[in-house]
Amino acid sequence: MQILIEPDNKMVHIERSGNVINLLKKLELRPNQAIVIRENELLTPDRMLDEEDKIVVRKIASRG
Amino acid sequence: MKCTRCRATAAVALPSHNAGFCPDCFQVFFSRQVQKAIKEKDLFQPEDKILIALSGGKDSLSLARELKLLGYDTAGLYIDLAIPDSSVKAGEHVGRFCRELGINLHVLDLQKEGLPIPEVQKKLRRPVCSVCGQIKRYYFNRFALDNGYSVLATGHNLDDEVARLFSNVMRWDTAYLGDQGPALPAQEGFVRKVKPLYRLSEFETANYSFLAGIDYCYAPCPYSRGASFTFYKSLLDELEHQQPGRKINFYEGFLNRARRAFARQEDLEGLKPEPCPVCGYPTTGEVCGVCRLREIMGAKG
Repeated sequence: MQILIEPDNKMVHIERSGNVINLLKKLELRPNQAIVIRENELLTPDRMLDEEDKIVVRKIASRG
Repeated sequence: MKCTRCRATAAVALPSHNAGFCPDCFQVFFSRQVQKAIKEKDLFQPEDKILIALSGGKDSLSLARELKLLGYDTAGLYIDLAIPDSSVKAGEHVGRFCRELGINLHVLDLQKEGLPIPEVQKKLRRPVCSVCGQIKRYYFNRFALDNGYSVLATGHNLDDEVARLFSNVMRWDTAYLGDQGPALPAQEGFVRKVKPLYRLSEFETANYSFLAGIDYCYAPCPYSRGASFTFYKSLLDELEHQQPGRKINFYEGFLNRARRAFARQEDLEGLKPEPCPVCGYPTTGEVCGVCRLREIMGAKG
């Protein structure tokens, strides 16, 4: 699955993450540290992901 | 997960409220949290003229949108810090946002004030974050007073407030603990300052910005790397993850049960600010921090 990490604008490939919470775990993020977007829709941690999905993970901590 | 209000598919899960919301209901939730803060903490009245400190980030733009939708008399002030790339980008985001929402925007350029942040940083040779914050607070306050605004509103959210409280507690800084809160009353030389987003987390403002289609600037400040608040926020995120609701309970508990004691102690023992002999801004030093800095920088006027 292709994941775009923002604001770093870094593409990563992650396999078999299952649901959003597992994807965030693999990215070493807590659910309160990022919003997860698929086709302009926000996903809650329980939502299942497909290998074909294009996902944006937007980290939310502001720095300065 | 289903929306707690309407049972549609939830878009935002909020363990701290034991709830989930669909996009429409989340925006209702967000607006109610802002209204609750304004009402319960008596932040301002419908007749107030409110200046909003705009940085171009999600919090200040979310605040400006919500106060505009609630019908308050608002205008924005963007302070251009003159940081290459980042200030130009942030200024463009603020400009577009204000044009789209019909918000009157003022811009103050620190280059023209003789205090561009990159030059200040070079001169000081130490982390510039606290000085930058001091300069911004000074000019936001002065602009509000000089231009007839009765309230200055900032986009500080729950995470900002809890990280600051944590930092103040770690240092037992009684002066800061005595006046930390979502409303600071107007005093001689100070406009009333309010934080209407204090009940909302950074995660909640990020969701709101996305759902409201706010085109905010999320490029980090190049000077903020390693800032202690960023570290405190990650510690507190872990606490919130393990114990949802801890942040708001910690902060509300402080406001309701602890702040008054620190404020009383400061009234008895703290230094009383006097007007700066150069600019009139209240200060406990001989001249205020910004005038001292202007002298170091050789700035005119």
